[in-house]
Amino acid sequence: MSEEQFLDPKETEFDIRTEGGRKAFIEAALFVSKDPVDPVRIMNYLKIKNVQEFERLIVKIEADYKEKGGGIMLQRTGGGLQLTTKPYMHDYLKDFFTITSTSRLSVASLETLAIIAYRQPVTIAEISDLRGVNSVGPVKNLLQKKLIKISGRKKVPGLPALYSTSKEFMLYFGLNDLSELPSLEELTEMFEEKEQPSLFKSL
Amino acid sequence: MEIDTQEIYNVRTGVFEGPLDLLLHLIKKNKMNIMDIKISEITSEYLYYLQDRTRVNPSREGDFLMTASTLIYIKSRSLLPKPEILQEEESPEDRLLHSLIEYDKIQKISQMLKDMEEETLLLWKREEVVEKFDTREYKLEEVSSFQLAEVFLNILKRKEGENFLYIDSKEYSIEKKWNEILALMAADGFLEFFQYVATLKTIEDVLVSFFCILEMIKRNVLIGVQKKLFGPISLWKTDKEKEKNE
Repeated sequence: MSEEQFLDPKETEFDIRTEGGRKAFIEAALFVSKDPVDPVRIMNYLKIKNVQEFERLIVKIEADYKEKGGGIMLQRTGGGLQLTTKPYMHDYLKDFFTITSTSRLSVASLETLAIIAYRQPVTIAEISDLRGVNSVGPVKNLLQKKLIKISGRKKVPGLPALYSTSKEFMLYFGLNDLSELPSLEELTEMFEEKEQPSLFKSL
Repeated sequence: MEIDTQEIYNVRTGVFEGPLDLLLHLIKKNKMNIMDIKISEITSEYLYYLQDRTRVNPSREGDFLMTASTLIYIKSRSLLPKPEILQEEESPEDRLLHSLIEYDKIQKISQMLKDMEEETLLLWKREEVVEKFDTREYKLEEVSSFQLAEVFLNILKRKEGENFLYIDSKEYSIEKKWNEILALMAADGFLEFFQYVATLKTIEDVLVSFFCILEMIKRNVLIGVQKKLFGPISLWKTDKEKEKNE
């Protein structure tokens, strides 16, 4: 029996320089990666010099996943590319893997993260002051979860540690870049729209 | 002042995170504008909440009381005639107002992060089935009575050995251990804690080693590292210690 019989008929035709070949390679590389893959690395490997060209390729892959109607999609997160399941698979997966509870961040942790995300780098004392309560606990908890990191020391007496968000933070919240978080001005506008000034005036 | 207790208890069932959390809640409940707080109303309600120990986090009671005193101070200031302004740095009113505005933002950002968390929790990634979700149901493997007996025999054997070998109670000393552990680490620069403990024969040995490791960590000679919760702990020499050796 010759070995050829075991080959995928497509294999002999496969050419990584074609668009189809590149798409297939990207899919395979993302499939085996546990962490998001750096797009620059893929571009270098495929010798794609033009960012727009690469972007077109990625948009096509995204469209493929949508059209195919499968359970997988492409996500841009933490500055990288990653394959994830589609949102509506969640309930079925939970059921299939008999997962009873999902761990989420506590209110204290979320508040602490909110401060770090918008004020970084920031010390525990500053966080505690803004929250009005001692925040050593949530900071430790977030460090353990690797959502924040010590990014330096503040040049004040005692040299307290300064905390910043980590790459895990972006992955956890599905952010591609920190700039995707709305700016403080945008946030204030968003809140002002939601509030009803007329109600206050009448009081 | 009358307070509709029924209403208060229906508004929210959780414990308040801190004094600012409670204050903001009261302001919103009374539909006040942050910029124009009716301080006497808020103070009475705040104190009313504080009396109910189940509503505030007991470990944060000090923080709650601190803010209560600020509120009372502000209230009393408003009742007294104001002295000619001596170009004060920042009045307690301004400080409280500033904190509240900031905390209001923080709460809104938290809510936004919470929504984002919910969204990303729906997307599953590779190898996350175990990491992301806490099943809280650990599968325990059944052990036969023979296995149990075997373990028991092993313990007995070990105890027996102890009785014969263990003569001098001063056989183990922290100093000896200290050098022993450093010697063991010389090759790789680290030591797997569980593996190391497993090699120890007597309970005294384990105890002395443990105290010694704690002391070494305290003196910044070693650091303990764990990759994940409940994972194996490995001990590494600190940079300081490495430098000393070189």
